[in-house]
Amino acid sequence: MALPVNENPSLLDSLRVQRRVLGALFMREALTRYGRHNIGFLWLFVEPMIFTLGVTALWTATNSIHGSGLPIVAFAITGYSSVLLWRNMPGRCIGSLLHNLSLLYHRNIKILDIFLARIMLEFGGATISFFVLSLVFISLGLLDPPEDILEVAGGWLIIAWIGSALAIWLGAMSHENELVDKIWHPFSYLLFPLSGAAFMVDALPKAAQSVILYIPIVHGVEIVREGYFGTKARAHFDLSYVLPFCLVITFLALFEVRKVAAKVVPG
Amino acid sequence: MIRLNNVKKVYPTRFGDRMVLDGISFELSKGERLGILGRNGAGKSTMVRLISGAERPTSGTVERHMSVSWPLAFGGAFQAFLTGRDNVRFISRIYGQDFERNLEFVEQFSELGQYLEEPVRTYSSGMRARLAFAVSMIIEFDCFLIDEISAVGDARFHDRCNFELFEKRSDRAMVIISHDPGHIRDHCSRWAILNNGRFTEFDDFDVAYGAYKEIMGVADRSLVAADSSFLDSVRNRSHLLEYSYRKAGIDDRFRALVDEAEFARSRAEWTRAHDDWKAAERSYAAALAIYPFERSYWLVLGHAIKEQGNLIGAEICYRTAVAFGQPAQDVAVHLEFVIEQQGLDPRDYPLRRFSRASLPEQVPGKPDIELLSYIFWGTALVADDECFRFLREKSSIDHVAQAMVLDDRYLSQYARAIGAADEEVAQVSVESDHSDQRLDYILAIFFTGLNGPARESLCPKLGRPSDILREILERDLLHDWVLTKSAITSAGYESTRQ
Repeated sequence: MALPVNENPSLLDSLRVQRRVLGALFMREALTRYGRHNIGFLWLFVEPMIFTLGVTALWTATNSIHGSGLPIVAFAITGYSSVLLWRNMPGRCIGSLLHNLSLLYHRNIKILDIFLARIMLEFGGATISFFVLSLVFISLGLLDPPEDILEVAGGWLIIAWIGSALAIWLGAMSHENELVDKIWHPFSYLLFPLSGAAFMVDALPKAAQSVILYIPIVHGVEIVREGYFGTKARAHFDLSYVLPFCLVITFLALFEVRKVAAKVVPG
Repeated sequence: MIRLNNVKKVYPTRFGDRMVLDGISFELSKGERLGILGRNGAGKSTMVRLISGAERPTSGTVERHMSVSWPLAFGGAFQAFLTGRDNVRFISRIYGQDFERNLEFVEQFSELGQYLEEPVRTYSSGMRARLAFAVSMIIEFDCFLIDEISAVGDARFHDRCNFELFEKRSDRAMVIISHDPGHIRDHCSRWAILNNGRFTEFDDFDVAYGAYKEIMGVADRSLVAADSSFLDSVRNRSHLLEYSYRKAGIDDRFRALVDEAEFARSRAEWTRAHDDWKAAERSYAAALAIYPFERSYWLVLGHAIKEQGNLIGAEICYRTAVAFGQPAQDVAVHLEFVIEQQGLDPRDYPLRRFSRASLPEQVPGKPDIELLSYIFWGTALVADDECFRFLREKSSIDHVAQAMVLDDRYLSQYARAIGAADEEVAQVSVESDHSDQRLDYILAIFFTGLNGPARESLCPKLGRPSDILREILERDLLHDWVLTKSAITSAGYESTRQ
């Protein structure tokens, strides 16, 4: 029996196809990266967990000054987890089209799907890692449970949004310009200490605060910390700045995807 | 149904935009099979990608009212780090199909056995092709796009592919691209030619193929015409070699003959059968008859002849290859072997290398012997025995020509040239095949520096070999062929000049 052709698919039909395609790409991506050997899929969050644990250990050992009375473990976990979240998404998407162009021969796969599958994987890994680590430290008594879980989730999602939009934008641009790949690495390195992972905005001098708050990621991290530590954190953020910012990069990203999709030649 | 409406595709290049498809429209209904012919780079694969939807047209639209496959047997969509089985699972997921049932079919059809549990990157190209074809068959499309079904795999697998595709799915629409016109003739019901971005349809294969050949032929001739100024100015062997190389590379006849020869040779290397070597020899010889200066093929022709036990024939080819500039180290071992097999010491019969000297001082090759024999003896047919002695003993073309002039056959040819003997009868009839080509080379070598009109008016006067000899003598074109000139003088040409 031939494959049926749906000439006028309803939104529901289209969503079903979209879910199928993303699911298939997600599994393909996960299998390709983690394989079926040793712990397989578990690497998805074990890898970021090792990172975060390492940084937590280092910061604890050197007794880093972060300018607040918060426990160092809690500070490191919230800080470094958020770095993994926004930094790995673009890292995975830049240059990803080139090796996956042949996928476009399957008509339901669009270049946006290739990016989305990778972003989902990164989001999943970073989130599970953050969640599991929190759980472990809370049960060990090294960490107090978050004061407002919903606020933590909100901040986390804002960081993820910035990361995803950036990932799609840079990923699409990198297909036509290899400079994107070259520049992203140093850029993300420089952004790391400025992203609020290693300090609280409140601890900075007033002048520096207003400058650092131009970086949207800082707002997300501050929200996560406020959710975790409540008023102890004295967070500084402005939703009316960070949300429009996200919308603008998202628009730029989708615009770039459209431009590349019209020109791309499957290999 | 698939419908293309005025589809255009432009690729930006560094030298400006290149129009690959220029306003293409056609319809394909269920069950119809369209075969597309076109030169390399005519845009056939681009068209298939546009129909498949993997790429978008620059302008115009592609409507698909039936499901269309990806280009068939194309293995690129495999993720090389995943196992064959996981790749099948991925395709099944994308198309929302039952994985277990598909896997069963792939196992049974591809016969890959437990290799399906290995990463695809460990597969040979044949195994990859088998998996690719099997996977292409698990989704039942209404229309299949077939871009150069490759001959990978053995004959039995090929038969099964053909059965699976053309027998079991005979009700489907297909778009087939192939460089093999026979394949398209056998499997299609409509035909089209893609040339210069234009698409022309035909209902009859013979008409389509005729038009196709004309396109190829016309294109070839126009190239030669554009290049004839170059041939006019060939003054030495290097120019001739370069000219031949450039022209052979774009001549589809030559490439087809070489492909045929390579195929026969690869089979012969496997079967070691006399007949297969013979077939390879025939095709290489035919290719070299068109482009005698394609030196690397003299080497392989030599191998094919050697394998059949003809040591002298092989030696001729090896010496010709080196004379025309094939690196001596490629050839030396083979030539030494052949000479030893004749019971001789290779050191007595050294290899003569190509050098950038003027033409008379060049080392001769078999085509030179034939050309000189044509002029001085009236026939291009030189027996192997004679040819190989020239190649072994004479270090330059001038030496060969001198020896020919000192032979009795020259005297009768000379008599014909000055009208003192009956016209040659037998020789000319043998020479029909590549006489145009030969005349081109003769003009290029001897009658250099002629402009177009002078050349035009000269050609009709050179119909017979004796005419050529007469023109050469009258115009004193051998003035820098020192040995030949003195031989001609002593043979008495000067005395008849008055």
